[in-house]
Amino acid sequence: MEIPYVVTPRKDTGLNNSKIAIWLFLASEVMLFGGLFSGYVFLRIGADYPWPERTLPVLPGLINTFILILSSVTVVFAWAALKMRKWVQFQIFMAITVLCAVIFMGFKGLEYSVKFHHQAARLTDYVMVEGHIDYEKPAGAHAAHGAEASEVDPIRDASGEKVEMNVQRFEPASINYDVARIHKPWIEKTLAEAAVAGAKLTLASDIDFNREGETSKPVFKAGSELSVALLEDIAAAQWDNRAWNAKWRTKFLRQAWKDKRADPSSDLSEAAFLAEFPNLGALAPDEKEKAFARWRAGKRARMAADVNLEAATLKHEGRAVTYKDVKLPESPNAIFNVASGENPFSLRLRNLDVITDYKAGLTEITLRDGTVLKGKQGDSSMVFHYVDGIDFQHLVMIAESKGQDPLVAIKNSWIVKENPEVAKMWELHQAGVKLLEQDLIKDYGYEDDGVTPSRVPTLKDRYRMGWQEIAYYAEIFHQKGGYENASAADVKIEEGKYTPPRVQAQIMEQFKGPDYDHRHFIHLTIPREQVMMDSKFTPKWNTYYAIYFTITGLHGLHVIGGAIVLAYYLFCGRSMYLSNPEWLANRVEVGGLFWHFVDLVWIFAFPIFYLM
Amino acid sequence: MADSAEDIKKAIRTYLIVGGILFAGTVATVLVATVPMFDIGRHGFDHWDMWLGLAIATTKASFVAMVFMHLNHEKKAVYWLFASGIIFAIAMVILIFGAKADPIEYKGFGQGDASIGTTP
Repeated sequence: MEIPYVVTPRKDTGLNNSKIAIWLFLASEVMLFGGLFSGYVFLRIGADYPWPERTLPVLPGLINTFILILSSVTVVFAWAALKMRKWVQFQIFMAITVLCAVIFMGFKGLEYSVKFHHQAARLTDYVMVEGHIDYEKPAGAHAAHGAEASEVDPIRDASGEKVEMNVQRFEPASINYDVARIHKPWIEKTLAEAAVAGAKLTLASDIDFNREGETSKPVFKAGSELSVALLEDIAAAQWDNRAWNAKWRTKFLRQAWKDKRADPSSDLSEAAFLAEFPNLGALAPDEKEKAFARWRAGKRARMAADVNLEAATLKHEGRAVTYKDVKLPESPNAIFNVASGENPFSLRLRNLDVITDYKAGLTEITLRDGTVLKGKQGDSSMVFHYVDGIDFQHLVMIAESKGQDPLVAIKNSWIVKENPEVAKMWELHQAGVKLLEQDLIKDYGYEDDGVTPSRVPTLKDRYRMGWQEIAYYAEIFHQKGGYENASAADVKIEEGKYTPPRVQAQIMEQFKGPDYDHRHFIHLTIPREQVMMDSKFTPKWNTYYAIYFTITGLHGLHVIGGAIVLAYYLFCGRSMYLSNPEWLANRVEVGGLFWHFVDLVWIFAFPIFYLM
Repeated sequence: MADSAEDIKKAIRTYLIVGGILFAGTVATVLVATVPMFDIGRHGFDHWDMWLGLAIATTKASFVAMVFMHLNHEKKAVYWLFASGIIFAIAMVILIFGAKADPIEYKGFGQGDASIGTTP
């Protein structure tokens, strides 16, 4: 069958099929992205924390913008070449377009991967710390900085994985598994760690699934060694007995209700009601009806409380039995004791796997699969090998809402109080902000009142030490041979730049983040109880990153989808070009329209996420 | 829409000019956001920067839609389709500001309407 209007336009709309279809689709896309952008506005104006302003590196975003604009131009050139029946020219322009898409996604991938490896923590006093968590290394290696540190091989856990120093360590004396919910990989990991430590995990007491005097069901002997198979066998036996018990319980309950109903005291008739309340017979009929209904409902409820499961009897295998007689023993838990070997047996648990709130000195913790560990806490500190961001903005916001002096609040925060190096850095930063204030006054002067400066440092300037600031102060510490010797007089700012004192970012640093091998940063060990929440820079960290990843991720999918369609015309369009070039031109135009739309979304996404 | 080879040759010049405008617009957006000399309003980001940034973005987007997407000589049906999408998107934003102006105040569970869930 011939499809009408693939090349020639329809008379009433003046458009061919694909044109009208793509515009319908683009209209729906406008609504999709419009909804997401209004979601962004909603999150931003409703945020209960300082919104991260201008927080993404501009250069990669800028290059990506140029790339998308270039590809928009080349895709329209490719279409024009087709219209003029220049196949080779079409191929060249289309190839550039697809290549642009690939480069765009490459930069996007780099940008994402930097975020996925960058750690943030919100402390209990709302100070934000950013940086890189180190892998666990042999004792002593952590003192090394920069290039030397990266040469030391990290310790690997039993499964060969490097361990980030952001785990809760726990030395269990016993492990209580919830057999219905066991998570196999964790048991395997536990077993592997136990093997390394030379520890033995054995069943604490017999688990017998038989009724007294019977032997048909499995018995698990105390002292059996923990294995996945053993736990699965226990779970299977447990489920078996539970299913049997549930079935019989229902039967006996049904019987118990029957018995209760048959009992003379359970008469729900009106006669019984009137026998109990003889003077109510004189009520008006509808009043009486209501009182009767209420009495019935109340009596039924009391009956339910009286139903006695234990007392009911049923015929089973030719004799009368009670629920107790048929009930099989259940054991939803299996407790294993730990006998330590030559090395301490310590489990490294991810924070999100532990559901017990962290406190120092816990002797019992529960994991997400219901496993309960009893024993002793190990060192659970969070160790930043490089701190490349300390942000007081949220703390200041909270202090101000309580009417407190923000500077006093910062001075009393754990990070400033307990870490002299950070305290010194904060002192230098305040000196730097002073210089910035003076520089702004020098160039912009005062308002008409002669007192209020025309321009003042932003909240971010004042209360956030980003990686460039921290690298600057740490460099001073290094040159002075220690933070103790540094003083506010060492701080200088570049006039006319209007930023706090900071190092200049190198080109590569704009893409990959700070160069840890050559710059100095500070090292920080944060006791777990100081950490309120921690996360990589992923959607979990805050609503800014959530909406950033949602919109840019969806946009990235559009780039990939568009590139696939355009690549199809490039590589598979030849035969169509030979048979019906105008049809191919129409299709390329439609593919191009989608591609321009992808560019259009980025035109808004770039300034909104990178510059505002 | 350009159909003859002549028209297309002419159109290509327009495409190049628009491409140039887009590049220039992007550079301008970055300059006003990063170079102090071009920073309008207060020091750092403020609502003036936002309006300027969005104005440039809207201008760029209009050029893309008008020239690259041929909206400058497109049929009526396309205008209707695209405009309806934009109108719905704007309506969504207005709804959000409406919701912001009329917030639901959360008073904690069970402290709202006392008559719910209790027997008279």
